Amino acid sequence: MMVMAEKNDDENLVKWRKPCCAQFSQGDQAEGLDGIKPPFGRAAFDRIVERYSADIAVLTNRLLGWPNDVEDVVQDIFLAVFVGLKKFRGECSLKSWLFTITINKCRTYRYKQILWQRKTIPKLRLRLPPNRPADGRLMDSEIFNRVRRCVTALPAKYREPIVLRYLQELSITESSRILGISENLLQVRLNRARKRLRRELAELLEE
Amino acid sequence: MTEDKIQNLLQKADETAGRPTPVSINLSTVRRRANRKRIVSVAVPIAAAAVIVTTVGLWGLTARNVKTKKQQKIASLQDQIRQLRARADATFDLVHEVLENERKQQRLDELQAQLASIPDPIEEIQDQVDKTAFNLVYQADRMYQELNLKRSAIQTYKRVIELFPETQWADVARQRLLEIKNSRYKKDSKGDLLWKPQNVHSSC
Repeated sequence: MMVMAEKNDDENLVKWRKPCCAQFSQGDQAEGLDGIKPPFGRAAFDRIVERYSADIAVLTNRLLGWPNDVEDVVQDIFLAVFVGLKKFRGECSLKSWLFTITINKCRTYRYKQILWQRKTIPKLRLRLPPNRPADGRLMDSEIFNRVRRCVTALPAKYREPIVLRYLQELSITESSRILGISENLLQVRLNRARKRLRRELAELLEE
Repeated sequence: MTEDKIQNLLQKADETAGRPTPVSINLSTVRRRANRKRIVSVAVPIAAAAVIVTTVGLWGLTARNVKTKKQQKIASLQDQIRQLRARADATFDLVHEVLENERKQQRLDELQAQLASIPDPIEEIQDQVDKTAFNLVYQADRMYQELNLKRSAIQTYKRVIELFPETQWADVARQRLLEIKNSRYKKDSKGDLLWKPQNVHSSC
């Protein structure tokens, strides 16, 4: 179990449990690899990269707050995939396994970033733009930047369900399995995350 | 309804953020990094173990050297203590001897002082003899001159000559006897007593 802490309100480090794909049912089989079944050899790695690299890059981009330059993290993710591919037994879907690795790597990356920021900039605070009424006709890029900053400012335990549920459009069951939490807990976290977003983006949601 | 709004808003925000830069995953690079990671994961513990073993070895050697140095120092200190104890014992004996000599000398001085304070018994006896002889001569003079006990006076003079022949009073007694004898002749011829004892009180 990997436990890490977030205290800063900007990042709100929280304790989390490392998702374990072993709890997935046997029904979640590796899909889309043209009949290649586990155990995967190194030959399957190219196909995995080819098929999932874009999805993983998008998920990584969303989890890290849309920096758009996620190549290093994705490289690390696929390095972990390459190392752990021999140990993958296919007890869950390959996509879920990859997403689990992605979430773990993103957590590690963000945690390192937070530590580095705390070390170099002791009191770094994410400055949100002042609330101003949105233009009724058009949501300009500034407004969407604000939305993205609000999502980024959420604690990890709220941000990850939001990204998986609303941006990756995964089901509640699949999201809870990827995150390694129960569906009820996921619903609770989603509800709390929505409350926070409503509070921060009230005037945008009223329209 | 709000959930849909939030989802819609989030999706629009995600779309406007744009796609991430295309990631090119090079298999050879990944394999090289994996190999490097594996080497590091093996080499780091080995290096750490080597460092630990070296450190422990050096520490052991250092501790042993320190122990040996400590033992040598302890032995040296023990020798010094032994020598100092021997010197202290010798000094103590010397001091004891000096004190004993001083005590003896002091006792000897006291005895000599006591001895010096004791009068000479011979002189004491001689004084007593002189005094006794004088008393006898004095009594004899009184008996002869004041009491007119001539016979007793002659016996006393003779006794002085007999008992203390070496003293000056024996000479005085002889002289008295001689004078008494002479006075008999004079008395016999003239019938008066012409002799008077002389030098009796002046000699005392």
